[in-house]
Amino acid sequence: MEDLDELREEEENPLKDMYMTFKSGNEHFGISVSNVIEIIGMQAITQVPDVEDYIRGLINLRGKIIPVIDVRVRFRQEALPYTDRTCIIVINVNGTVLGLIVEKIDEVMKIDKNNISAPPSLSQNANASEKYVCGLARTADGVKLLLDPERLIQDEDFTSFDDLEDMENEAEEE
Amino acid sequence: MAEEYNTDGMLDIFLYESEQLLESLQDIVLDNKDEECFDEGAINEIFRVMHTIKGSSGIMMFENITRVAHRLEDVFYYLRESQPKNVPHQELVVHVLDVADFIQGELDKIKDGESPDADPEKILEELDKFLTGIKSGIVEKGKSLPPENTHVEPNQFYIAPTATESGKFYKISVFYEPGLQMSNIRAYTAVYALKELAEDLKYIPEDIISNEGSGDEILEDGFHILIQTQSPLDEVREIIEKGTGVERIDIYESSAQEFTLGFRDESQEEIVIDLGEQEEKPREEGGAEKAPKEMAPGDYVIKAKEPGKGKKLAKHQAKGQVKQSFISVNIEKMDSLMDLIGELVIAEAVVLQNPDLRVPGLDLTNFQKASAQLSKITTELQDVIMAMRMMPLTNTFQKMNRIVFDVSRKLNKDIELEVIGENTEVDKNIIEHISDPLMHLIRNSLDHGIESAEDRVAAGKRAKGKITLEAKNEGGKVYIIVKDDGKGLNRDAILKKARANGLLGKRNPDELSDKEVYQFITQPGFSTKEKVTELSGRGVGMDVVVKNIQAIGGKLEIDSVPGEGSEMSLKIPLTLAIIDGIVMEVGDTTFVVEIGAVQEFISIDEGMMVKEPNGEEYANIRGEYYPFIRLCDQYHIQGDAQTLEDGIAAVLEYEGKKVCVFVDRLISEQEIVVKPIPSYLKKVSGISGCTQLGDSSIALILDIAGIM
Amino acid sequence: MRILLAEDDFASRKFMAKYLQKFGDCDITVDGEEAVDAFLMATEDDEPYDLVCLDVMMPVLDGYQALKAIRDIEKQRGIMPDQAVKIIMTTALNEEKNVKKAFEMGCTVYCGRPVDLDKFEMALKKLGLI
Repeated sequence: MEDLDELREEEENPLKDMYMTFKSGNEHFGISVSNVIEIIGMQAITQVPDVEDYIRGLINLRGKIIPVIDVRVRFRQEALPYTDRTCIIVINVNGTVLGLIVEKIDEVMKIDKNNISAPPSLSQNANASEKYVCGLARTADGVKLLLDPERLIQDEDFTSFDDLEDMENEAEEE
Repeated sequence: MAEEYNTDGMLDIFLYESEQLLESLQDIVLDNKDEECFDEGAINEIFRVMHTIKGSSGIMMFENITRVAHRLEDVFYYLRESQPKNVPHQELVVHVLDVADFIQGELDKIKDGESPDADPEKILEELDKFLTGIKSGIVEKGKSLPPENTHVEPNQFYIAPTATESGKFYKISVFYEPGLQMSNIRAYTAVYALKELAEDLKYIPEDIISNEGSGDEILEDGFHILIQTQSPLDEVREIIEKGTGVERIDIYESSAQEFTLGFRDESQEEIVIDLGEQEEKPREEGGAEKAPKEMAPGDYVIKAKEPGKGKKLAKHQAKGQVKQSFISVNIEKMDSLMDLIGELVIAEAVVLQNPDLRVPGLDLTNFQKASAQLSKITTELQDVIMAMRMMPLTNTFQKMNRIVFDVSRKLNKDIELEVIGENTEVDKNIIEHISDPLMHLIRNSLDHGIESAEDRVAAGKRAKGKITLEAKNEGGKVYIIVKDDGKGLNRDAILKKARANGLLGKRNPDELSDKEVYQFITQPGFSTKEKVTELSGRGVGMDVVVKNIQAIGGKLEIDSVPGEGSEMSLKIPLTLAIIDGIVMEVGDTTFVVEIGAVQEFISIDEGMMVKEPNGEEYANIRGEYYPFIRLCDQYHIQGDAQTLEDGIAAVLEYEGKKVCVFVDRLISEQEIVVKPIPSYLKKVSGISGCTQLGDSSIALILDIAGIM
Repeated sequence: MRILLAEDDFASRKFMAKYLQKFGDCDITVDGEEAVDAFLMATEDDEPYDLVCLDVMMPVLDGYQALKAIRDIEKQRGIMPDQAVKIIMTTALNEEKNVKKAFEMGCTVYCGRPVDLDKFEMALKKLGLI
């Protein structure tokens, strides 16, 4: 379990230029450290019935019960089996706390604003993951896709079973 | 209300006592509103109330209140002395209530720090007219008028301090990290920084520069500052927070009085809890609730005055031997207390079910005894804490009395309110959320439910309408019911409106039960009234009512018999947080169901099962058929039980309906702390929350209504 | 009108003196003992004060002690209650027990701080001083 106390003491560096980077599938991602609460190893996950496939369930984080999502599945990729290296990044986005299950943690790094460019406009065939990307960062070890935490937890393209049923109903009525 | 006034301030006491008097005045009047006239007891009481208010407001020079009270006192003086007959009772009732409202309005202004400047002329005129009427009535009968009511003018006055814009007072407590070096110097730095925006400043310990030992005192007890400043709280906080090594900062708004008195030995009392019996000095006869500390001349002589330090009083203030039986608590403290007791219950479970204890052959007799004692104490602790937050519904219900009176008059309907179970106690949080919904429901009954007198008589009912407001505690829930004997709900009209609003969807209206149809009126924008009256019928009310009720975990049920009346039932869970549950497993998933809902556990075999063509299953238990739900199928979980005999069925009951739920195994009976499912997850039907078990695993709480 | 002011805090003293000067001549003392002395002197010189304004928290003698002393002096000299000097106590202390005690001891007006000047003037009118 790593934490970010050392980082917080460096008060000269504002946290927003620091990013937590990790690997998921073939891509490398980064998320602003200001949203990250902690990083923990894989834990027992309690499944919750009838939720979206990317929501793997709930974990018990020292008494607080928080949901965890599989980043690969969220990006409409196939989930990989969980290994010793699988980690959970616990993030806080405007009060909502949840865990991101990622394949491998890279490191915390500073990415200067100048090295970040806007993401390419989405094409029809855009990979689902690109919808959540708010910037492309050029770093020493390659390009990292910077994730927008708010869009990550939003469910704009999420349809619940109830919604599906309603859509079916409406279609039938026509 | 006692909780709002937690100082012995002169003004606060005046406001509190006056409000109490007005409340009792209102009660007397409403109790007697249907009588022919006020009886002797009522007259004396009303006279006494007005006399007292006249006197105390006179001392404080609240002219308007004094004049109005004075005039009404005169009226009741004449009623008492001459006992005239044929006093227009209804008119008098209205006058008294008007006076009460006027005075309450002025008191409210004072409370808000505004000037009580309402114009009393109209009320005074009306009272004058009324009094003239009475006096002429007395004279006509040939009686002579009694001597004029004598009024003693006050010759001592109290002037309440103004709440000035200039000079806010704050009390700041700074707690540094343990073991921090030179905390006294850091404290001094904070003081130095604050001096920039302070008009006056005091702190304790005082000798932070000269005495290095003060650092230890600061680490132990914290560093406390009283500051007078124009600056707002955030600016003050900003300056203090700049310091390093600070663990915690508490900033409270303070008062001129607290600032003047500086730091005394005992900490400020701000908690109000019923202390009950204590070995203090014996209470005074006649039981005033507070035994104030006696003060003596000479208590306030100044010893020395040095910069930065408060005026030191030569006489050491006596240690508070105040024996109060009520104190008021900051609600946040109560909330954290509740959270802590929840954590305690979980921690207890973690200890008692610890895997370390599962060593075979271990003799745990003493341990069991000790843990039984521990459980007993935590349960008692829970009960006491829940009880602390409980308050009777009396006040809330009393408010409704007034509303019924006012509204029925306005609508020209004769309606009485019957109140049952007003002493029922509920959590304070519930009381805050229940008041507005109840008001709305009662207004609905008054306005839409109860018909005019003619219509009622034509329908064979008595002309006077009746609304019953009832509260009762049952099975861990509070029921609050508003019932009227009006015209009831019109199923067809509601269906029509529902269809027009597109609420019906695919459903066949004929298949909907009456209760389900009535629920449509809780949809936003729903109202079958063509005209919007001032009181209700704007169509925005019912959905907000339901939201408020749901916010406290309750639900609203609506029932009605056309022509005979309607019944709105609020069902609210009593304790939100901790329940007794049975833990069950299906495959790897653990469920908990509230013990009150469990009728029995029973072994099932194929012979008891009946399967319908549509796939639904029923279990025949001792001749009765129960819907049979396999949780593994319901929630698409991989269960362990291969056959029915491998698992076990729980017969659960909810509101008279029963269902049989099939699980793999039962684990234990446990007290669990209900935690909400993280809002990030959309609602899953049949699951109402989650909890952490003794082995740190997570269990889902089964909501029976949801799976039926 | 002759006014006696007793106030130990410089800022408050300045403020009250300036305000009271509107209504009459104001003599200024800085502690309870001085105030009682001044009162005694004025009484003996047959130029009694009409109004005494006492702070409560003062050195040597506090407001309550000064109040008691002044009332005692008046009693000793046979001064009737309706002729007695009007005494206004000003202080930030507002607890009921403080006010009750002050009234018991013969204080005419108990005025909380910060002073509500409008009400203060209203009281002076009611007492017939202005």
